[in-house]
Amino acid sequence: MLRASRRLLRPGGRTAFFTIHPAPGLSSRRRRRAHRDGPVAVASHLSQRDLLERGGFVDIAETDRTVEFATVARAWIEQRDRHQDQLVEALGEAEFEQRQREARVQLRAIDDGLLRRSLLVAVCPND
Amino acid sequence: MVTREEHETRQRFRDRYGEDRPDALVQIERAVIGADWGADGYTTRRQADQLADALRLAPSVWLLDIGSGRGWPGLYLAASTGCRVVLSDVPLEGLRAAVARAATDRFAGGAVAAVAASARALPYRAGTFDAVVHADVLC
Ligand SMILES: C[S@@+](CC[C@H](N)C(=O)[O-])C[C@H]1O[C@@H](n2cnc3c(N)ncnc32)[C@H](O)[C@@H]1O
Repeated sequence: MLRASRRLLRPGGRTAFFTIHPAPGLSSRRRRRAHRDGPVAVASHLSQRDLLERGGFVDIAETDRTVEFATVARAWIEQRDRHQDQLVEALGEAEFEQRQREARVQLRAIDDGLLRRSLLVAVCPND
Repeated sequence: MVTREEHETRQRFRDRYGEDRPDALVQIERAVIGADWGADGYTTRRQADQLADALRLAPSVWLLDIGSGRGWPGLYLAASTGCRVVLSDVPLEGLRAAVARAATDRFAGGAVAAVAASARALPYRAGTFDAVVHADVLC
């Protein structure tokens, strides 16, 4: 995806994105759990910043947004529970249960420090 | 060529985006995200506004949204900043919902185009865009 952004941006063009990734420095066992329990974007061991740097981007800024990630993940679960009857009617019991189960597993992985969500901003160089 | 991963992505999200969205889902999204553009991730409206600032979006800017789902955040960004946007994703269903919304009176944004393509195979020449955004896209 970064390769696509790099190609399609004009010199001086900007990219900004939110991405979910394993926390840095996890043991290989915890890293595997991060991949299993979360929608983790890249399999690479490199950080998003390193990937952007290797891709030739400049002025890279990375901000950890995991606190909001946990808040929003929790809010999705709570709100779906609150509207359970309507959702079960619309989606079916099995689909509702599966979405909630996956969301809870993921929230646990966030709370356990396995998953993070970051905002990255970078610029395509001018030359 | 379509990879197995892209095929799975298409299957998975086709079902999700094809839903005629029940009212409850719209209410839930308003409560969680603070907007109702059919978000399928964790980007709140405030965070989308931060993306607009970081990308310096303005009416003359061409923005590409990769993996835009039903148009979040790209379509919203076009509505809120007046920029021009190309929405792109693998499944058609989300793009259809986005284009339908862009055609309504409720939408007061800049020009909108949609393209069904994987990030790897976007049919544009190098250097086409001023800004590229994506949110929680897994590729
Ligand atoms: C979690 S959803 C996020 C959708 C939207 N950006 C949002 O925030 O609501 C991830 C999206 O990435 C798309 N996606 C996955 N692989 C892709 C690829 N190779 N190229 C383009 N989009 C892709 C999926 O089809 C899906 O719509």
